[in-house]
Amino acid sequence: MELNGFHCDAEGCAEEQEEEPKALRLPRSKTDASCSIIATPGADSAAAGGSALREQRVSKSTPAMLRLDSLKKNRPPFPWFGMDIGGTLVKLVYFEPKDITAEEEQEEVESLKSIRRYLTSHTAYGKTGIRDVHLELSDLTLWGRKGNLHFIRFPTHELPAFLQMGRDKHFSSLHTTLCATGGGAFKYEDDFRTMANLQLLKLDELDCLIKGVLYIYSVVSSGPPECYYFEHPTDPERCEQKAYNLENPYPLLLVSIGSGVSILAVYSKDNYKRVTGTSLGGGTFLGLCCLLTGCSTFEEALAMATEGESTCVDKLVRDIYGGDYERFGLPGWAVASSFGSMICKEKRDSVSKEDLARATLVTITNNIGSITRMCALNENIERVVFVGNFLRVNTLSMKLLAYALDYWSKGQLKALFLRHEGYFGAVGALLELPNPS
Amino acid sequence: MKLKCSRKPAFPWFGMDIGGTLVKLVYFEPKDITAEEEQEEVENLKSIRRYLTSNTAYGKTGVRDVHLELHNLTICGRTGNLHFIRFPTAAMHRFIQMGRDKHFSSLHTTLCATGGGAYKFENDFRTMADLELLKLDELDCLIQGLLYIDSVSFNGHPECYYFENPSDTQNCIKRPCSLDNLFPMLLVNIGSGVSILAVYAKDDYKRVTGTSLGGGTFLGLCCLLTGCETFEEALEMASKGDSTNVDKLVKDIYGGDYQRFGLQGSAVASSFGHMMSKEKRESISKEDLARATLVTITNNIGSIARMCAVNEKIERVVFVGNFLRINTVSTKLLAYAMDFWSKGQLRALFLEHEGYFGAVGAFLELLKSSDDA
Repeated sequence: MELNGFHCDAEGCAEEQEEEPKALRLPRSKTDASCSIIATPGADSAAAGGSALREQRVSKSTPAMLRLDSLKKNRPPFPWFGMDIGGTLVKLVYFEPKDITAEEEQEEVESLKSIRRYLTSHTAYGKTGIRDVHLELSDLTLWGRKGNLHFIRFPTHELPAFLQMGRDKHFSSLHTTLCATGGGAFKYEDDFRTMANLQLLKLDELDCLIKGVLYIYSVVSSGPPECYYFEHPTDPERCEQKAYNLENPYPLLLVSIGSGVSILAVYSKDNYKRVTGTSLGGGTFLGLCCLLTGCSTFEEALAMATEGESTCVDKLVRDIYGGDYERFGLPGWAVASSFGSMICKEKRDSVSKEDLARATLVTITNNIGSITRMCALNENIERVVFVGNFLRVNTLSMKLLAYALDYWSKGQLKALFLRHEGYFGAVGALLELPNPS
Repeated sequence: MKLKCSRKPAFPWFGMDIGGTLVKLVYFEPKDITAEEEQEEVENLKSIRRYLTSNTAYGKTGVRDVHLELHNLTICGRTGNLHFIRFPTAAMHRFIQMGRDKHFSSLHTTLCATGGGAYKFENDFRTMADLELLKLDELDCLIQGLLYIDSVSFNGHPECYYFENPSDTQNCIKRPCSLDNLFPMLLVNIGSGVSILAVYAKDDYKRVTGTSLGGGTFLGLCCLLTGCETFEEALEMASKGDSTNVDKLVKDIYGGDYQRFGLQGSAVASSFGHMMSKEKRESISKEDLARATLVTITNNIGSIARMCAVNEKIERVVFVGNFLRINTVSTKLLAYAMDFWSKGQLRALFLEHEGYFGAVGAFLELLKSSDDA
């Protein structure tokens, strides 16, 4: 039986097939994080023992040379996934090889083929899984293979269904490393093992985030620019998205807005620190919106927010001062107290759900902007990159952030955005595939 | 703190802080009035004094905080009691009306006022009650008022306090402290909104930043989420609720601590994060929502205050403002947060007269001014 291009002795494979339901029997290194079957030259010999033996039995035919080649180049077996299991969403990146030779295809295991077909021939999976086709990166060369990188997401609460699918498709028999990051990589580690016989290689979410950002930025060479900013963000007539050259990115303040928020100061590719965070993030926006307006999804909440007016919900400086608070440079239109007008019953009765959704969006966004600005000041960094799925299809927040940062810093700070928004953690996880420990 | 009283202004002596939600009024009741003085006293002045000191509630919404009264205060050569009164800013026009009905303008006194409302209602005072306001900056007044009250002490007791063992719910004790080495201090004023000031000396301070997520946000959101109508109701509900049913904690995402960056499982990762799930929405109570709102707003303020303290290199963080009135949940949370997240480097301090310092500062300005406005 072929395992992704490895010949193995019949006995070994038969054994494995028989014992499939048990824990994945892979040569293990000392750290339980490792699960790769790759026999890398110079790798931990105890771990690689089994497969190294198998390697010697590989025939000399062309596909086999390709596989040998693979091994020598430290190339992991297919499929190549990276997974980021967040508080609200699971982000999955999948590399679809497009340079598969006829022989390789012939030898390809059925389950691997079926996975590839399933993922690439659909853009929706089940009721809640989505492939963001507009983010697909084509003709990517990764570890010597050419293919397309796909970006898929589904709600974290659907993970059991995902695991079930992994089990049904005998994913564990593919013996690949499943690189996963995000809190869920830790929380669901046991479920992966017991429900789908899969061992996760757990990675830190912030490490992956940074690696992912640097990688994607470096490979996007055509199509819409990865990094952009807004010129005249609050002027609907003149507002423009413009490309930004992030070639010399350091130092950078990276603000990741997911369910919650982490703020990182990045000084070089290997040198960063988590400056702070805030629990008022995307999850707060959605949670509060659901409570206040009865909506159920992020898209609904955004649609409502687009229609509403927050100024009747918030108490502005001019509502308190009758104009500007000149002494400290606070313009009359600045919000003095978010939701402050809602202490009055009359006002409560006069606002719409859309107004409430808008006020929630503005409150959360401005709070993030404010905290970000303080961090940028403290850390002496002028460039701020915002990522995370709170900004997905959320131009309203992006423009607000762009404007707020510019206005309150008097033009010192610049808000930057990246097209692949919330997928960087998953990309970073994918990039760890060749490094089993 | 000695006041330079160039001239004693005419009674009555008031200081007013017209905020976004509440009007704070301090009134000096002279107790050393001689028989002659009383005889010469104008009727409406007497009636004002009687009205204020013989009631503890005014109309439907005015309240005199008797427990905060400063007894036997000697100021500018007069001895008397300093009273602390508050009413909602929404009742402002009724107050001005009362001023007109009591012919306040005939008393020709300066009415020192601070807060945004001093600007917003300036014309109303003039047109409705023929009163001219001496407008003062709210942050100037805040600091002067705070320094003064601390200097005269609270009827012989310390004005300032902190919590010992803030992280220990069983052994958390309120302890007095003296603001001897006051400066530098980070002053966090939590009203409808929040202002954060770095104060280096009596006359040297800067507004570091602010946040619009303040007391007004807490009350506004609570009213929307729970149907309550007053601050007291909102606090009552919050004291009974459990925010962990509403918030998504680190352990809900990680299954435990997020060790790499020192985030305990019990830390909130996403405020209200559970509320995107219909099931969870249906399983929580109004009290849980009120609690979550309180915790979210309080922790956000704490977090921002801490960042400012670190940036300004100040260890003492003083919290004032009426958001903290009768609000021990928030006070203790702030004490805990400052201590915990700074690993004991920062200390949260509180003051008994909470939200009245602006009004006191305005009152002091009355005594400093040598001319009537």
